[in-house]
This record gives sequence, structure tokens and C-alpha cells, in this order.
Amino acid sequence: MASHAIARYRVYLRQRPVILAAFTVLAIVLFLAVTGISRAHQGQRHSIGERWFNRGIADLSAKRYKAAVTDFRGALLYSPDEYSYQLHLAEALIGEGQPGPALAYLTNLWEREPDNGIVNLELARLAAQRGETELAIRYYHNAVYAVWPSDQEGRRRDARLELIELLLGINAKAQAQGELIALAESVAPDPVLQERIGELFLRAADYEHALAAFNTVLKSDRHSVPALAGAGHAAFELAQYPLAQLYLQAAVAANPNDSSSAERLKTTQLVLHMDPFQRQIPVSERDRIVVRAFQTAGERLKICKLGAVASGAKIGEPPLADQWERLKPQITETGLRRNPDLVERAMDLVFRIEREAGARCGMAQGTDLALLLISKMHEGS
Amino acid sequence: MEPQSNAENFVENGSASDWIHQHSPRSLWRLVFREDRLFLILSVFIGVFAGLAVVCFRFAIDWSRLYLLGTGAVLTPARMLLAPSLAGLVIAALVIHLFPRARGSGVNQTKAALYIFNGNIPFRTAIGKFVTSALAIGSGHSLGPEDPSLQIGACIASALGRKMRLERDRMRLIAPVGAAAGLAAAFNAPISAVLFVIEEVIGRWTAGILGSVVLSAVSSVVVTRWFLGSESLFRIPPVEMKRPTELIAYAVLGVAGGLASVVFASGIAWLRPIAKALPRWTQYLQPGVAGLLIGIIAVLGAPQVMGAGYEYIDQAMHGQFTWKFLAILAGLKIVATMLSFVSGTPGGMFAPTLFIGAMLGAAVGGAEHVLLPHLAGSPGTYALVGMGVLFAGFLRAPMTSVFMVLEVSGNYSIIVPVIVANTFAYVISRGLQPTAIFDLLTRQDGLELPSMEEQREEDILRVEDAMQPADGPVLDAEKTLDQAVEALHSEIEQVLVRLTPTGWGIVSKQQLLTMASEGKGATALGALLPIAAVPYLHPDHPLETALRYVDRWPLVPVVSRADFQKLEGVLTQRYVLERYREFGDG
Repeated sequence: MASHAIARYRVYLRQRPVILAAFTVLAIVLFLAVTGISRAHQGQRHSIGERWFNRGIADLSAKRYKAAVTDFRGALLYSPDEYSYQLHLAEALIGEGQPGPALAYLTNLWEREPDNGIVNLELARLAAQRGETELAIRYYHNAVYAVWPSDQEGRRRDARLELIELLLGINAKAQAQGELIALAESVAPDPVLQERIGELFLRAADYEHALAAFNTVLKSDRHSVPALAGAGHAAFELAQYPLAQLYLQAAVAANPNDSSSAERLKTTQLVLHMDPFQRQIPVSERDRIVVRAFQTAGERLKICKLGAVASGAKIGEPPLADQWERLKPQITETGLRRNPDLVERAMDLVFRIEREAGARCGMAQGTDLALLLISKMHEGS
Repeated sequence: MEPQSNAENFVENGSASDWIHQHSPRSLWRLVFREDRLFLILSVFIGVFAGLAVVCFRFAIDWSRLYLLGTGAVLTPARMLLAPSLAGLVIAALVIHLFPRARGSGVNQTKAALYIFNGNIPFRTAIGKFVTSALAIGSGHSLGPEDPSLQIGACIASALGRKMRLERDRMRLIAPVGAAAGLAAAFNAPISAVLFVIEEVIGRWTAGILGSVVLSAVSSVVVTRWFLGSESLFRIPPVEMKRPTELIAYAVLGVAGGLASVVFASGIAWLRPIAKALPRWTQYLQPGVAGLLIGIIAVLGAPQVMGAGYEYIDQAMHGQFTWKFLAILAGLKIVATMLSFVSGTPGGMFAPTLFIGAMLGAAVGGAEHVLLPHLAGSPGTYALVGMGVLFAGFLRAPMTSVFMVLEVSGNYSIIVPVIVANTFAYVISRGLQPTAIFDLLTRQDGLELPSMEEQREEDILRVEDAMQPADGPVLDAEKTLDQAVEALHSEIEQVLVRLTPTGWGIVSKQQLLTMASEGKGATALGALLPIAAVPYLHPDHPLETALRYVDRWPLVPVVSRADFQKLEGVLTQRYVLERYREFGDG
């Protein structure tokens, strides 16, 4: 009886629907088992990957790039698609001097996340290294408007600063000014940052914004030597010589080793002393300045041997040397007192000589430079 | 069955009990579990089980690598030397004593199951392949996981088929269905797996087989992706072909790939019999010695040759090696894979083939970039095309090679370079090494399995090769009996009659003469005769089709496909047999 039941049971088990049902149950059981194995496997891989990654971070921080590359490659064995692993490997590769492989990783990362700030910044740097300026600018712009994992404002600002450095490096001053203005508007009045912005404005030849930036610094620290020097430089370039003198004096007093500020101060003082058109100076003093300027121009004329006709001279106009020789007898203190109109004529000739000499014989120095600056100051007046 | 016809049946038969009987749960059950439908359902189960097995196999390889070679990207020399050699000794013992069938190519064993063993593969083979291959690949032997996966899939399918007690025809086909599932799971590429199994194992396309193979491949890929993700085996770089002139460079790659394939295949063909001929006790040492030699290659500066090497394919694609080093790696990988394979270490040659192809491709691309910068594209593109080139040249699967590259890259803009390069490689490889690697291995093992390549290339006889012009007249059915008798020759026995509108018939001379003597001469043939309609053939039909008819019909008309009334010739049994005899003699 029992054997009969078993036989019937076996027949039942051989039915195809029953076998298929058994397969289904087996599939479910195996699926659950493999899920468990898979989790254990993934967990192990993840932890090994993390271990290599942390080791890589430590090596990268210590600038042991070769070891960092090995570590990050090890980490990537376990999580090949882990974004941060690839990114750090790219950074380590750049540090190790392997821009090619780094570029491959970064390009791959960029395709995955085109608005990632770090990737765009690294790609910009690599493009800049390869001299692909347009591409670099594009990536820098991406970085400026990209998403950053932390300190978004700070990282965007730093990216823009790098972009500005690049633009200044290729002498794209107008573009650099645009970026600087945008940067200046977006940052807090942090003295250190404003000082850097002021310096960049100076390099971009935007002296008004440079002066404003340095003034911002001086508001919070009126003894900031770099800010004083920078403000003096900006004021000097803006031909605001009295203001420049103030800043530069303070800068040189605080840092006597600042030779460029000292030189600029000297020139500023010369400009202020040699300008005959200053208000509120006695006539006798003005005449003395004119005579001295005329003599300085004569010396420059001789050294520079400007015998020919000046560039841009009117037709039939005699050479500058002849004009100077012809006017020389009249340019004395007595002569000027007798005929004040000569002041204008004498200084006009002085300015023309200095400009011509500057164009033909190179950058003027000392008093010649001062006269040239005075001529620029009064251009058009 | 459609509802309307059911209702009609009901009305016509008028029997409710019949209808109920026809649609009883038992009959519905039979309808669902008809053999062909059951086979499709079973294909899904095969795919699921094969997928699960391949996932576990991948984990096993990974664990084996972690514990034998270490966790880092840079391996220590001691591990590089000891892991493959010691693992080789263990594998040899396992293969000799426990799993003798784990040795050798899974593709050939699947073919053997199909053509020799009626679909039966012992399940023990799957266990053996799983354990020994995982140990071999994980320890650094230069072999890949695809071929073992294919065989594991085939074993699982065979076991399920046996359990289900399938009919013999279905049972034979079950192993390739499982093979497709295993390969699809290993490659994460169902189309390539289906094509490979059709191209290299089954060798023919039929809707029944294709449906099962596709179902199993897709099921296994779904399972694999569930656990391992859908990412490709390598990160694919941006791939493009900028100028048509680049095709010249890809043709050069095809030539190089073809030659490399010949070197690789010839090396295996030469070394394998030598290794097999060595005394039996050396079989305990061969995998260990092969492992040691691979370890030495690794220690000397090329650790990339160890294991399947997918991570290095990835690096080659992203231009992380110089072209000279890539060329060296391609050469060393050929040596390392030959050593591993001929030593009898279980494992596959798919991954090494892809590795060699990628390195060779990137090397050729890099060299061309130096020599002819205006001709060459990116190294990644060359590496990708190179993989297809070796697949076509070495494995001799031209269709699969093209689709594999497309499927892996997901980029159809690369299709023209792939086709150009693969064609060159395939033609050169076929020219210099007439026997494909799988056929060569089979013959070395003393089996005579059908060669798919030879089948593809085989000349087949067609009806036009055997047909002859009709001896006697061809009569129209509208003609009168008198006209027909006038047209008869003395020698002929049978006459073809053209029936309207498109049929053909046959009548004997004797019948015509008898009816004429009965005074029916003015009557049209069509109205008179008991003309027997005969089947007709077209000139392009395979000659074997004619064999179905020529023993039953003395004369079979061969007609034009454009005009069924136009007789091109006739076939008789004698013509067919004579043609076959001539073909056999030739």
C-alpha cells in the first residue's frame, strides 16, 4: 500500500507542470542565495576599494603621486565606475606628470557629469598646459558656473581667478577685466581677496577698479603695505599724483625695500614738482620750472639726436632741434616774465620733444619721464 | 483558437459535452505544455539558472584573485610567481582525478553534446569547470571566463532538459541554448552570444531554435545585470571615424590582426599535440609549469598578461600605454595564452583574444599615428576594432565579431572600419590557416564534429545542376487529343501537360493512345484525361529538395520563377543520382 502511494507520488513528481513549479521555487531560492552572496561580495569589494582610496588620498596629500596612482588604480579595481576614485586618479596622474591618461579619465568623467566643477577645472588646466587656450577658457567658464561639492562660492571664485591669470598670461586684458569686474561684484570685502583682486586689476590695466579694491582693503587695514603700494600704483597710473604720493610715501616708509614703489614715488614727486600748470604756484616758481623743463628737453634732444622732423609734424615745420634752438634764447626767467605766452609755447615744445624721444629712443627715465607724464596729464587741455 | 470558431464548433457539433471535453483543464494543460512551448518556457529557466551560475562564477574568480594575487593594482613578485604555479598544480590534480571533462574548449564540448551525445553533458562538468576555471583565471593564468561560462550554461541546460525528459530532437538543441545563456551572461552582450551560438555551434537558423536561444540569452543577461550592473566590460572612449582615408589604416590593422591570428592558432596547433604526447605524469605538472612561466613574464615587466585582463583592455583603449609596449603585450599575451591553454588548464580563449586584439589594435593605431598622423584615429577606436579583428581572425566568427564590437561599444559609426578590418583579418587567417581553431582542437581530440565554417563554405548542388531539357513534347491542356497524339515520339513514355492557370500534370503515352483509339480525338486534353498534377521545382532549389519527389514521379518539371508555365527543364531520379555521383567523384 505504502509502495503504491510512493509510486503514485513519484509519477506525480514527474509531471512537467510539477517540475516547472519546482524549477520556479529553485530559481527563487537560488536568486535569494545569490543576492546574499552578491551583497557579501560587493561589501568586501567596497571595503577594499575604500582602503586603497584612503591610502591614495594620504599619498596624494603628501604629494607621493606615484604611490597615489597605484593606490587609486587599486581602488578602481573594486569600483571601476566610482567617480571620486577616477577623479583622484586623474589628479594623481597629473601630479605624476602623466597628462595623457589623466585627460582620458577626466574626459570620461566630464561626459558623465559635464557640470562637475573639479573635472572642468582640471580639464581647463590640462588644456592650458597644452596651449589650447580657447578650450581652456571654455572649461574654466564651465568650472566657474559648475556644481562644486563644498565651498561652492570659494571654488567658483578660485576657478575664476585661475581663468583671469590665464587671460592675463595671454594678454587678453579686456576679457580679464570683464572677469575681474564680475568677480569683484560677487565677492565679500575680504582684505586678502580684495588685495589679490586689486593686483589683478592693476595687471589688467583697470586702475580705477584696482584703486577701489585697494581702498576697500585700506578701509579695514589702513597700514596694509601691499594695499598702500597697490593704491599708489593705481593712483599713479590714473595720474592722480598727489594721491599716489600719499600712498607711495606710506608704502615706502613701511617697506623701504619696495624699490618699485620707491621709484614710482620719485617719479610722482618729480611730476608734482615739474608741472608748471599746477594751481597756486607763484609765477616766479612756474618760470623756473619751465626753464628747467626746457633745458631737460634740450638735453634729451641732444642725447637722442632728434635732428629730423618730428613724426606727425605739420608740412614745412622745422625739425624739433631747430625749433628748440630758435626758442632757447627766449626761455629764461626774465624772458618768461616779460612774455608769459612763451610758457605755453615752451612747454608745448618740451612735451613734443619728450614724446618724440620716448617713441624713438626708448622709455624715458627720471625727469624726462616726469615731463612725459605731465604732458599726458595735460593732453587735450 | 478564436472565440468565433469555438462558437461555430459548438453550434455545428451541437454537443456541449464535446466542447467541454475539448476545453477541459487537462486539454488546456496539454496545449500549454506542448513540446515546442515547453521548450521556450524552459529556455527562460535555462537563462535564469545560467545567469545565476555565471554571476557566482564571476564572484568566484574575483575571490580567487583577491586571495591568490592580492588586492592591489600592483602585484608582488612572489605572488606573481607562486599563485599561478601552485594553483596550476592543484588544478591539474582536480582535472585528472575529479573533473576530466573540465579540460578543453566549452564550445567544442557543447557541439559534441549537440552532435554526438544527444544533448547530454554531465552536471559534474559544470562543477569542475566552475571550480578549476575560477582558480586558474583568479591565479593569473592567461585565460578568460567566457568559454567556461558558455559550458556551464550548456551543462545547466542539459541537466534541466534531462529533468524535463525532453524529446530527443529538443534535447539535442538544449546545450546550445544554455551555451548562449552562459556566453551572454559572461559578455553582457546577448546579441553577440546568440549570433556566436548560431554561427559556431548550431550552424543554422530556424525560428524554433532562434526563439529559444534569444529567450535564454536575454534571461541570463537580465539576471546578470540585476547583480552586476549593466556596464560594459570596458569603458568605451569616444569612437569616431573622421575621414574615409582612415579606412586604409584599418585595413592595415586587419592585415596585422590576420597574421597575429595565424601565429596564435598555429602556435596552439603545434604545441598542444606536443604537450599531450608527453608522459602522463607530466600532466600533473604542465599547468603549474605554464603558471610559473606566466609568472616569470609578469615579473619581468608585463603583469598585464595575467588573468583575463579586462582592466588593461580598458587602459589600452584610453591611451595609457605606448604603442611599442602595446605591441609587446600583444605578443606576450599570445605566448602566455598558448602556455595556459596547451597545458590543459581549464579556461577560455575569448578574453585573451579580445586582449590581444585590443593591444594589437591600439599598437597599430599608435604606430600609424606616429608615421601617418593624417590617417590614424584615436587609440581607443583602434583597440575596439582590434578586438573584433582577432575575433574574426582567430575564432573565425566574422558575423559575431562585427556585432560584438557594435554591442560592446554601443556605437554604430564604427561599423565600416570594423567590417573592413575584420574582412581582411578573416580572409588572411582563412588563407594561411585553413582549419579554424575550434575544428582543429576537435580533430586533435579525435572527434569529427561538423565544421560550421566548412558548412558555410560548402558548395551545394542545386536543381539546375541536375536538370535536363525535356525529351518529349510539352502539351497544353487546351489541345485536342488528336493534336497531342500527333506530337508524340516513339521513344517517350511520359508526357508533361501544362495545365491552366499555373499547374503541371503528367500523363503516359499509353493512356493517350488508348483514349484516341476510343474515338475521343476531338476532345480537349484538359477535359478528358485523368491527368495527375505533379509538383514542380525551380532551378535554384537545393537538389536535395528534388529527392522528395523523384522517387514518386517519373518526371518532375523545373519551371521559371517568373513564369510558372515556362519549362526550364526536367528532373528524373536518374538525373539526380548521376549528378550526385559526379559530385562525389569530383
